[in-house]
Amino acid sequence: MLLPKFDFHEPKTMKEACQILAEYGTKARVIAGGTDLMVNMKKKILSPKQLVSISRIPELKKLDTSGDGIRIGACFTVAEIISSDAISKQLSALCEGAKNLGTPLIRNLATIGGNIGSARPAADLPPSLMAYGAQVVLNCLSGERTVSLDKFFLGPGFTAIKPDEILTEIRIPAPNPRSGAGYINIGIRKGQDCNIVNVASFIELDKNGIIQNARIIMGCVGPTPLRAGSAEKILIGQKPGNELFSRAGAAASSESAPIDDIRGSAAYKKDMAGVLTRRTLDIALNEAAHRQ
Amino acid sequence: MKRLIHLTINDRHYEVAVEPNQTLVDLLRYQLGLTGTKKGCEMGDCGSCTVIMDGKTVNSCLILALQANGRNIRTIEGLETDQGLHTVQEAFVEKGAIQCGFCSSGMILSAKNLLDQNPEPNETEIRRALSGNLCRCTGYQKIIEAVKSVSTQK
Repeated sequence: MLLPKFDFHEPKTMKEACQILAEYGTKARVIAGGTDLMVNMKKKILSPKQLVSISRIPELKKLDTSGDGIRIGACFTVAEIISSDAISKQLSALCEGAKNLGTPLIRNLATIGGNIGSARPAADLPPSLMAYGAQVVLNCLSGERTVSLDKFFLGPGFTAIKPDEILTEIRIPAPNPRSGAGYINIGIRKGQDCNIVNVASFIELDKNGIIQNARIIMGCVGPTPLRAGSAEKILIGQKPGNELFSRAGAAASSESAPIDDIRGSAAYKKDMAGVLTRRTLDIALNEAAHRQ
Repeated sequence: MKRLIHLTINDRHYEVAVEPNQTLVDLLRYQLGLTGTKKGCEMGDCGSCTVIMDGKTVNSCLILALQANGRNIRTIEGLETDQGLHTVQEAFVEKGAIQCGFCSSGMILSAKNLLDQNPEPNETEIRRALSGNLCRCTGYQKIIEAVKSVSTQK
C-alpha cells in the first residue's frame, strides 16, 4: 500500500517547526506517532504535500508535575502515560483511557497530542481530559494561546487548531482533595477495537460530602465528545448516592445523540451512555472518598 | 528525493538512502532483504510487521524509514545467536505455537519484549502483551502456552 509523495521535515526546535508551518500552511500536516495520519495517508484520505514531524523536539516529550497542575508534552506517548506514577496517581481516569487505547504496539507510538488533535469522536483520552478540565496549548510563530478542550473539538477530524499552529502541551489542573474521576469504555473486544461508547465522570465534594463540582463527558455519541450538562446540574449541590447517580445517568442518556453504525445501534449506545455515566460516577465517588 | 539515514539493525550498522514516503517495513523487506518481518494489513491492526525499536515493540508499517534514522532496531532475524534459536523461538517450536507462521515473527518479538521487562508474567499479562498481534490460524492457546513455558523456566 503506497503512501502518496511528500516532502518530509524533521525540525529539532519549536521555532523551526512553526516556521515550516507558517511557510506551507494548509499544504503541511504535523505528524507525531503517525498511527492515525499514516493510515489516512495510505487510504488516500489525506495527501499532505509537506509532512512535519515533531517527534524530535525534546520539549514536546516532557512531563511536568512541579507546578499547580500537570503539564504533558504533546509527544508524550500513550505507553508513557500508563507507566507514569504521577499520572496514574493524580489522573487515574486518563490512565484508564490510555490502558484501553489500541494495542501495546500502537500505545508505544501514539501520542496524547495526536489522540486529541485527530479529533476522533471515539478517542479514548479526550473524555477524561475534559472531565479533568484540561486545556491545550497551541503554538505558532506569533506566539501561543490556550484553548479549553470544551471549545477545542469542532467535529469529526476538525478542531480549533489553525493551519499554522501546533498543539504542544496539555495542561490539567491538579485534582483537589475530595475529588475523583472514572472512565469506562465499551467495545466489541478488549484489544484493538473502536469504542462503542466511552464516558468519563469527575466529581468534587465539599467537606460536608456534598457534590460541589461535576463534569461528565460522553464519547461516540455525537460528532465530538459531549458534555452532559443536565446530568451535571442534577448532581451539583446534592449528596452522592445510587438514586442520584441513576437520575444523572438517565439525563446523560437523553442528552446523548448517537447514530446507528456498524458498531452498534443508536438505541443501544444511548442506553449505554446512561449506564456508563452511573458506573463512572461510582468510580469517581470512590476515588473522591479516598483522595486526601 | 532520497535521503541518507543511519540506523542499527540487529547490532549491525546500516547507511541507506530512502524515499520520504518509504515505510520502515518496506526498507527492511525490499531494500535490506530482511523478509522475516511480514506485511499484513499495513494499517497497524495485525502486528505482523512488529519490530523492536529502541526497546519498544512497534508496527513498522506505521513508521517512515526517515523516522527510524538513528534508531536501534531488532527484527526476528536478530534473535538467533551462535548458540542457536532464542528461548522464545525454541518454545514456539516445542509447543506447536507455529502454524502458518505469518504472525510468528511479530508474536515472538512481542513475547520476547514482554519477558525482557517481566520475566514471570501471568496469563493476563501475556495475553495483554500479545493483544496487538493477530493469528488467523487462531493458534492463540499454543502461543500462550509457549510464552508461559519460557516464563516458568526462569
